[in-house]
Amino acid sequence: MNISQAVSLIHTQATMKMKSQANALVLSYLWWVLEPLLFVALFYFVFKYVLYRGDGDFFIFLLVGKIPFLWFSKAVNSGANSIIQNKGLVLQRVIPKIIFPLVNCQEAFYKQLFAFSVLLLIMVFNDFVNVANWWQLIPLILLQYILIAGVSSVFAVFVTFANDFSVVIGMFMMGLMFTSGIFWDINLIQDQAMKELLLTLNPLAALIDSYRQVLMYDNLLNVKYMMYILAWSLLSFSIGYFCLQKYSNVLTRRLFA
Amino acid sequence: MSDAIITFDKVTLEYKSRVGLFKSFTHKAIDNVSFSVQKGEVFGVLGGNGSGKSTLLQMLAGILQPDEGRIVVAPNITRSLLSLGLGFNPQLTGEDNALISCMLNGYSKKDAKLLSKKIEDFSELGKFYTQPVKTYSSGMKSRLGFSTAILSKVDVLLIDEVLSVGDIAFKAKAQNTLLEKINSDLTVVFVSHSDQQIKSLCNRCMWLKNGSMLAQGDTASVMAQYSQNITIKK
Repeated sequence: MNISQAVSLIHTQATMKMKSQANALVLSYLWWVLEPLLFVALFYFVFKYVLYRGDGDFFIFLLVGKIPFLWFSKAVNSGANSIIQNKGLVLQRVIPKIIFPLVNCQEAFYKQLFAFSVLLLIMVFNDFVNVANWWQLIPLILLQYILIAGVSSVFAVFVTFANDFSVVIGMFMMGLMFTSGIFWDINLIQDQAMKELLLTLNPLAALIDSYRQVLMYDNLLNVKYMMYILAWSLLSFSIGYFCLQKYSNVLTRRLFA
Repeated sequence: MSDAIITFDKVTLEYKSRVGLFKSFTHKAIDNVSFSVQKGEVFGVLGGNGSGKSTLLQMLAGILQPDEGRIVVAPNITRSLLSLGLGFNPQLTGEDNALISCMLNGYSKKDAKLLSKKIEDFSELGKFYTQPVKTYSSGMKSRLGFSTAILSKVDVLLIDEVLSVGDIAFKAKAQNTLLEKINSDLTVVFVSHSDQQIKSLCNRCMWLKNGSMLAQGDTASVMAQYSQNITIKK
């Protein structure tokens, strides 16, 4: 299978999955827009009326952090289980295993485009209209996509080998949620060395901070951090791809056990 | 017709599954089996339940690798495994499943769409073709699977008991198409527990029992040994 065939296959499978999921729901395609909207409404309600933190830009601050984070966590969870989900296909055909996590990542990406559209609309409604700076979202989204593909494929190896690993993924996501600066601003860390370490070791923290810099503060991306994210993304993807190739047979056999 | 397309050389495959923390269950599904399938022939594998037929097909398809021995496959050979209930995403429509299946066989999306029309006709699924596969009866699933496999151009077609499902009319049509294909370049490995089907379709066959090969050769001689064994049991 060459690259263009693989890309076409991934796109086709991802769109078919979305279609079939939509058909199973009464409101069908509407959910792609409705889901992010409901999520925003929930946050608005909780922070404005329950926690009384609706002041200033905190609501926007939270959304700009949480929406990319949700993309990451949903996509990685689904990518990690992708090979087990496609057991029937794996036992019937020789397909490069990397295809399975990538299909799920692609599906999550298409859905995320709706979530991002909702986010941008809300930004405009709240007078964050630095539209000229939005082009920087393209490299950011691209970087996050590669990071998701990389982490998903590594986790897919682990989960297929031992389903126990699903438990660990839950913990991992919670850890990431607390260390990525979703509810707090990473720039408020006083210790510069600590802040630097966090932005280097946790690519998601760097990503989320960058989304805020672009959408809220009208700044340019920090090239150094972008390079760190790219390095993490490529490293994880290479490991995942290599393991899925090398241990393909072992993983197929695990599906029987 | 003398060149081998797939050769098994003393192949053994063992399943291992855990049944407790330190206990595991092992089972030799295929035990020291050697044979080869020639280009353009219809090769039958005869055996009862649990004899290792399906595992053998999965190894022929390249899905499972042997623990011992080796499998030699001629270069640039496309193989397609056709078995019941597997390989379809039940949430997707028959059309989408057929499309993905064709694309996995190396067709471009455009060609896959053209082929999909033919599959729709051949499978006689009517309006069910655009319904999710989860709404299909087992006969309909096998019709979709068979149509997809027989219409895609592959070098080796591996068939797992699918002809045993479906109504008489479709079964006859399937057998006829298969016979037509046999006269072309297609190589077929056909697995069944029915000696009648093997007799009517295969030039050569092998007899598999509990993972071991008891006989192989031309269909008549293997059948003679097989029926002798069955009569002794009676």
